[in-house]
Amino acid sequence: MLRLISTVLSRRLIAAIPTLLMLSLIVFVVLRLIPADPLAMMLPPNATPADAALLRHQLGLDKPIPSQFLIWLVNALHGNLGASISFQQPVAMLISSTLPATLELCLSALVISLIISVPGGVFAYAVTDRRGELPVSFGVVLMQSVPSFLWALLLIALLGVYLPVLPFSGRVGDGIPMPHLTGFLLIDFLVKGEFSDWLSAASHLVLPSLALAFGFAPLVIRVLRSSLLDQRNESYVGVARLRGVSESRILWRHMLKNAALPALTMIGVQFGFLFGGALLVEMIFSFPGVGNLMVQAVRNNDLVLIQGIAIVFCALMLVINAIVDTLYVIMNPRLRKTA
Amino acid sequence: MSTTPLSPKHDMKADMLHESTSVDPSPEAAAPVAVVVGKSARARRKPAVNLWLGGAIVLGVLLCAVFAPWLAPHNPLDQDLLHMLSPPAWMAGGDVAFPLGTDSLGRDVLSRLLYGSRIALTVAVIAAFGAGIVGSVLAILAGYFGGWVDRSISYLVDLWMSFPPVVLSLVLMVSLGVGIENVILSIVLVDWTRFCRVVRSEVMVVRQRDYVLAAQLLNFTHLRIMLREILPAALPLMITLFSLEMGVAITVEALLSFIGLSVPANVTAWGVMIADARVTMHDSLSGLLFPVLAIVITVLGCNLLGDGLRVALDPRMRSKGE
Repeated sequence: MLRLISTVLSRRLIAAIPTLLMLSLIVFVVLRLIPADPLAMMLPPNATPADAALLRHQLGLDKPIPSQFLIWLVNALHGNLGASISFQQPVAMLISSTLPATLELCLSALVISLIISVPGGVFAYAVTDRRGELPVSFGVVLMQSVPSFLWALLLIALLGVYLPVLPFSGRVGDGIPMPHLTGFLLIDFLVKGEFSDWLSAASHLVLPSLALAFGFAPLVIRVLRSSLLDQRNESYVGVARLRGVSESRILWRHMLKNAALPALTMIGVQFGFLFGGALLVEMIFSFPGVGNLMVQAVRNNDLVLIQGIAIVFCALMLVINAIVDTLYVIMNPRLRKTA
Repeated sequence: MSTTPLSPKHDMKADMLHESTSVDPSPEAAAPVAVVVGKSARARRKPAVNLWLGGAIVLGVLLCAVFAPWLAPHNPLDQDLLHMLSPPAWMAGGDVAFPLGTDSLGRDVLSRLLYGSRIALTVAVIAAFGAGIVGSVLAILAGYFGGWVDRSISYLVDLWMSFPPVVLSLVLMVSLGVGIENVILSIVLVDWTRFCRVVRSEVMVVRQRDYVLAAQLLNFTHLRIMLREILPAALPLMITLFSLEMGVAITVEALLSFIGLSVPANVTAWGVMIADARVTMHDSLSGLLFPVLAIVITVLGCNLLGDGLRVALDPRMRSKGE
């Protein structure tokens, strides 16, 4: 089994490399078409044209775009994504220090949205062709019409300002020192055994992950419902019914397992949606993650940083898709043999 | 994203389109006839509600946008520094002159909402139209010709979909610069794939139909077959997608104007209103809630309309998968 996983995963990851190269090329070219001069920010007001030319040469901006890309690529392969103009720090360092926060947020949002959407999807399926179908489907469409960043604002308004029960700024309370182990606060504080700090980190995570999860859950509910609908005419359902298996057992034990596969691929494809949502949600909650960094980079026109983050996001998407593909193979016995 | 046959990538839009449409041709044989009739009658009532409610909302917003100068009680940019952050008229301290209250600069919230709907709908209609044209043209080319055309277009779609959409639109906005036309352009450049994926698979089905083969046998030109035989068959799907895409475009515009990347400062957009009201959230929640509601209701209208159209435009309701 382990060998199967590693074979499939490595095959998928290798297949993703050319895609990542193409994506970086696209980002690189798009950001070079920019009308504004990236030098304008970096030079003092009293700089002479000679200073500008010198800096341009230092940054390699006087070379043609293909060779700029090659230089950037070689550096990137060595883990050097350039230096941020606005933060005056290496991009790779900025990203690696913020990435765990984003991953922690997205993973907890994923877990919450599964907790909401698995029963939700089953319920939406169960009321199909019944009296409850109209209100339930309306509710799902309504939920789907509220993007995560509006959920974030509504949650802050309700649970942060109107009823001040939960914190809505940052990752931990003031004055709590950041542990520097894995970067995942929920793990770090647990390892160190500081439970009050752990609680603080967890409570700071609640609202942002709820906002993300509320935006994501309706998508999963819809897919789960439609794949359950696809299952209901399968012969195994009829066989189970003939054998006297109860309807709820058929639904939860048999149909749900089969319906999970399409929902799983959907989650993989839509993970980008989660990342996109995280961007705004992090900004709104002043959550120190990559998304927040990206918004700041965009506001400061920090091209090197924007480019680095965009490519890291793409790489994450590809890795997640590879993982989902692997899970798909593992969960689907029919594919397991052929793989 | 790998294009392996092992993992049939499930497209969300496709699922939304085909969802709840798997009407089984043979309902449980044991069920009494009366029940079956009742079921289908109820099943038919639901899309009609979606369609009319969604249509009414979209029409209402459209009217607000068109007649904003006549409906709005104030100029959306007029600042009244004597009436800052006043609550809606029905609440204590409210002023009838400002039915939904004012923001931190004393600007009338209702007037700003009305003018904001112009930006939202302009972006929604033009961007959805643009994304629909680009995506559908590529989809029809890919689905009709197959072979290397299909492979290269599908590769492009896969490549595009490896970008988290918001990240791609931010990168594009940085490159294009602030401005409503650039917002539209970036939405088109990001969202054409939504049309392309779904329409392509529809075209591949249509291409196999007898009347298309007949047209080919009659030696009609490819262009004529695509325009006269394929396009009409794919049009209902495209109209449905258009309606859903309007909702997406409104969300994206709100998001970009919330960050401050969409419109210049002297233009009123819902996202800008939210960004302004966020700062003064502790003093006044209403200024935040109204633009949020405006976005949610409008997007809901587009989604309901799309859902309703999906069923209304195809009486037999598609029962096939992607």
